[in-house]
Amino acid sequence: MNQPLAYVNPQAKVATNVVIEPFVTIDKNVVIEEGTWIGSNVTILEGTRIGKNCKIFPGAVISAIPQDLKFAGEDTIVKIGNNVTIREFVTINRGTKASYETVVGDNTLLMAYAHVAHDCIIGNNVILANASMLAGHIIIDDWAIIGGMVPIHQFCHIGTHSIIQGGSGVGKDVPPYTKAGRDPLSYVGVNSIGLRRRGFTREVINQIQQIYRILYLKGYNVTQAVKIIEAEMEATPERDEILSFIANSSRGIMKGYSYLNSKKSKMEGI
Amino acid sequence: MNQPLAYVNPQAKVATNVVIEPFVTIDKNVIIEEGTWIGSNVTILEGTRIGKNCRIFPGAVISAVPQDLKFSGEDTIVKIGNNVTIREFVTINRGTKASYETVVGDDTLLMAYVHVAHDCIIGNNVIIANAVTLGGHIVIDDWSIVGGMVGVHQFVHIGSHCMIAGGCIVRKDVPPYTKSARQPLSYVGINSIGLRRRGFSMDVINQIQEIYRIIYLKGYNVSQALEIIEAEVEARPERDEILSFISNSSIGIMKGYSKLTAK
Repeated sequence: MNQPLAYVNPQAKVATNVVIEPFVTIDKNVVIEEGTWIGSNVTILEGTRIGKNCKIFPGAVISAIPQDLKFAGEDTIVKIGNNVTIREFVTINRGTKASYETVVGDNTLLMAYAHVAHDCIIGNNVILANASMLAGHIIIDDWAIIGGMVPIHQFCHIGTHSIIQGGSGVGKDVPPYTKAGRDPLSYVGVNSIGLRRRGFTREVINQIQQIYRILYLKGYNVTQAVKIIEAEMEATPERDEILSFIANSSRGIMKGYSYLNSKKSKMEGI
Repeated sequence: MNQPLAYVNPQAKVATNVVIEPFVTIDKNVIIEEGTWIGSNVTILEGTRIGKNCRIFPGAVISAVPQDLKFSGEDTIVKIGNNVTIREFVTINRGTKASYETVVGDDTLLMAYVHVAHDCIIGNNVIIANAVTLGGHIVIDDWSIVGGMVGVHQFVHIGSHCMIAGGCIVRKDVPPYTKSARQPLSYVGINSIGLRRRGFSMDVINQIQEIYRIIYLKGYNVSQALEIIEAEVEARPERDEILSFISNSSIGIMKGYSKLTAK
């Protein structure tokens, strides 16, 4: 904590065993808990709450005001959980009056140059690869993995255990347990490797597979598919997670890849 | 202005009420006017001119030498207007002997990680979203909005009130008042929402719509379309702006989307 070459505002609450490297700036109204490491040249501004055992690498800027032009100086925060790794030059903006906070869950890894805008809610065990750009109000559920250089449109919702291919643009909601890729972003399968690694049983993975086959490959529209899934698939937590995700999707879910190859899409010139 | 933890060259002219956070570096031959805020770890190098009430966020680097290999140490500047917001890690390079300056207009917002290369001229009220990378000599006119992660080729001219979709690559001039998207970048309509917000009348918006219908949707080539517009569309400032934009376009304007799908 003793670092003569850093500026720590006397009103900041920094736990005694926090390591602060040279040229760090810590503003007032900041709370940093035990065991966290703050690399050199990091800037931590008003409204930051950082949990235990986090690692923040050189150059990161946390809790700067939102880039939203509607922001009018509200008193908002950034809440970062425990064991979070924030790599070089990551920027995390604080909330606006929409939800008053930007949240990063426990054990999450934000790789270099990632940008987390105002009011984003990122779950636990999420991985954001290099230079992923999140716009405002995005929700990313637990265990999702976002590839490198992925821009995500504001208000998108990324489901749990999904994985998004690097470089894809995300403009629609990505349902849980899926792999998404191509342009425009499409369903390209179930994230079966991720699910197996995290201990999902073969039966559960097969059921998820079956659900997405009905949703994306049989030619139904979303409403029809949801009805069939409700009627024919056994109720499991995973099934209900998928159904409630789709029912609550405000931007609509991403398309299936087969749609792009269909006669209909050729006629529309997509 | 008093900041014991910053380095401010004694030859820099910094107005007294400028706020400088810790670990800022300000070089000689720099002018910063009243009311500006300089966040921590910002580096402001030789040749910077910053106007009033700007906000420069942590980590930005302003007026580093151009990345152009032809640059040979010319004495050039970066001119930043008033009320400009420059977010984290933005890099703005100074000019080369091509135009001796890089300019950012008033009320402009450059979001995090944006790169503005040598000799770019950015107008007023422009918004450039995250991680947009501009090549050298680019002109962006007033009120345009460039989406996130867009790459713009050198010498491109982007007209006023344009809207470019995120993730696109811009290799041709983008005429004023248009929306553009897709790969390769194409006309996808006029920016009617932006125009309405800024108080353009329905008549004017309809005329702009009509002009672009002639350019992009009727199957004419650009010279034919220009002749028809000059002959048939009533002369207004917006019409003349479009016509002069197209006739001054040195690298050509972007294509229409309909042409891509046509036989």
